[in-house]
Amino acid sequence: MDLVRDPDSVLSDWHAHALRFEREIGKVVLGQERVIRLLTIATFARGHVLLEGDVGVGKTTLLRAMARAIGGAFERIEGTIDLMPGDLVYHAHLGEDGKPRIDPGPLLRQGEDLSIFFFNEINRARPQVHALLLRLMAERSVSAFNREYRFPHVQVFADRNRVEREETFELPAAARDRFLMEVQVVMPQADEARRSLVFDPRFHDVDTLLMDVESGVLDPEALGTVARAIQIGVQASPALEAYTLALWDAVRRPQALGLAIDGVDINRLVQGGASPRGMSYLIRAARVRAWMEGRDMVVPEDLRAVFPEVMAHRIFIDPVYEMRREPIVAALIAGVFERVPAP
Amino acid sequence: MGRLARILATLGLLATFVLLALPTSPALAQLRTVELYAPRGFGHVIGDTLTLSADIALDAPFVLDPASLPPPRALNYWLDLHEVRLEDHGVSEGVHRYTLDLVYQTFYAPLEPRRLTIPAVALFAIEGERRVPVQVPAWSFLMSPLREIVATGPGPAMQLRPDIAPPLLPTAGLLRGLALALGVALLALLLLAWQMGWGPFGRRRARPFARAARAIPLTLATAPGDPILAASRYAHALQALHRAFDATDGKGVFAEDLPGFFERHAAFRAAEAEVRRLFAASRRAFFGADPAGAQRELPPDELVALARRLRAVERGTA
Repeated sequence: MDLVRDPDSVLSDWHAHALRFEREIGKVVLGQERVIRLLTIATFARGHVLLEGDVGVGKTTLLRAMARAIGGAFERIEGTIDLMPGDLVYHAHLGEDGKPRIDPGPLLRQGEDLSIFFFNEINRARPQVHALLLRLMAERSVSAFNREYRFPHVQVFADRNRVEREETFELPAAARDRFLMEVQVVMPQADEARRSLVFDPRFHDVDTLLMDVESGVLDPEALGTVARAIQIGVQASPALEAYTLALWDAVRRPQALGLAIDGVDINRLVQGGASPRGMSYLIRAARVRAWMEGRDMVVPEDLRAVFPEVMAHRIFIDPVYEMRREPIVAALIAGVFERVPAP
Repeated sequence: MGRLARILATLGLLATFVLLALPTSPALAQLRTVELYAPRGFGHVIGDTLTLSADIALDAPFVLDPASLPPPRALNYWLDLHEVRLEDHGVSEGVHRYTLDLVYQTFYAPLEPRRLTIPAVALFAIEGERRVPVQVPAWSFLMSPLREIVATGPGPAMQLRPDIAPPLLPTAGLLRGLALALGVALLALLLLAWQMGWGPFGRRRARPFARAARAIPLTLATAPGDPILAASRYAHALQALHRAFDATDGKGVFAEDLPGFFERHAAFRAAEAEVRRLFAASRRAFFGADPAGAQRELPPDELVALARRLRAVERGTA
């Protein structure tokens, strides 16, 4: 596939694939169109995603459906308090001959073709595990058995429930910064979807439900190439660059906009964050979204659509307000988009 | 007291001047009574007007001959007849009653109190060919001088007193009305200016499209010049309109927000198609790096027209 010569037709083919991918997941996950769209964007931006939400809203189902639809090798691990990095990499057991053996662990078991690594309840794992994950996400490689394993196609999905805070370890900022998006999964709002989820027997057994998803809609090997083609093919004009920089500035210094949030001292709210990496992720995601919408240029709507998920977890606010983080950051972002003039 | 005195005096005169028609006299058979009512008989000075009022009762079908009424005129060197009013009370119980008012003015200048007489007035009552004289009797009164014969006070004996100041017309109400009307007119003008966005009102917050329309030069469509400059002018015009949309909605309005915008501001639905073209054009201009395509999508003259249209929509006169 020669992307330089004919990227347009390739991209339009993949556009159809992407829409089909969304439809397949939408068959089993009801009322989460926005989340599905964001995860699709993340997939085509080759970014890692952290899902966050209440218990039982379908985070795991959603990720399993995605893994199935993307195709390729898939591994998952459950985060527990006693999980150590070695447990991801090595599998220690007694062999049939009674001797202790060390085999490749979950992370290495599928070899270097691993396309999706799904980390359940990531906040239950210890910081040591987070560190390993950090390396996996940042460099797509781990060291084991005295050599380096590379996972060129790996995409990490993690989920975290936000109800329980006991025996959990908050992710370090560096690890959170590695995630392209932090997506909040909430209950479906539409009555119809809620009713189906509760009463339709189809949704009672997740395993059979997932059989509905067509497997391997996307070719994980080609995703990286397509992602690069998208980044090249979708242009960002100077006006959009100026707008993005204005947004960045506004997030870091909201007081300059005259933004006011209820019960918040705006002058000390934002302590830092919105890293350059975050902004580059933002543009990456915005480009993919523009492509998903069938455009060859990024417009402010694209930035707005992905901004909360891409940027919210990168904004560091005063610890005083940390307990009310979600509404405050949401108000901050909404305010920034209302105030910063585009283009 | 004065009123009572006048009534008493009138009654006294009445007794004097009542003439009873005698039934035996054929000439006076048709005249019942002539009753003269007069003011007091004394204390009149030069220039006074005296109103004599005569109640005349005739036997129907006799009527008073209007031609016999005296015309208002100067009767002699000191007495003017100013006005003659005849009031017909109609016939009741076979008697035809009239009231005749005679207004005199006296100019007699006596040196001492002096009795003067207003002469009798001869009238006629007619019925077909028959004529019956009716006499309003003479009346005498005392005129008094205005000044003493020999001056006793200091200074000139008789000096003209200054004219009385002319009475002022009551204009306060008129002035109030004028002020009120002017105030209302001014208020209406201000309201109109506010509504139309004239002058300083064009800059008010609630009229962002008025500001935008002002910011977009009329010459946008016609100005010649190099294409780069024209593109930048076009971009500025687009920006001005976008700022107006943002200000109207209170937040940034992007193309994807237009359905919500039209829901919140239904008046702009009238220009929905053009607005959508505007947003498509600005997408091309700003994000597609295709200013020429943008100007094809929405030519500059249509942009100017749209700005004007939106301003009209905004002030509700579209």
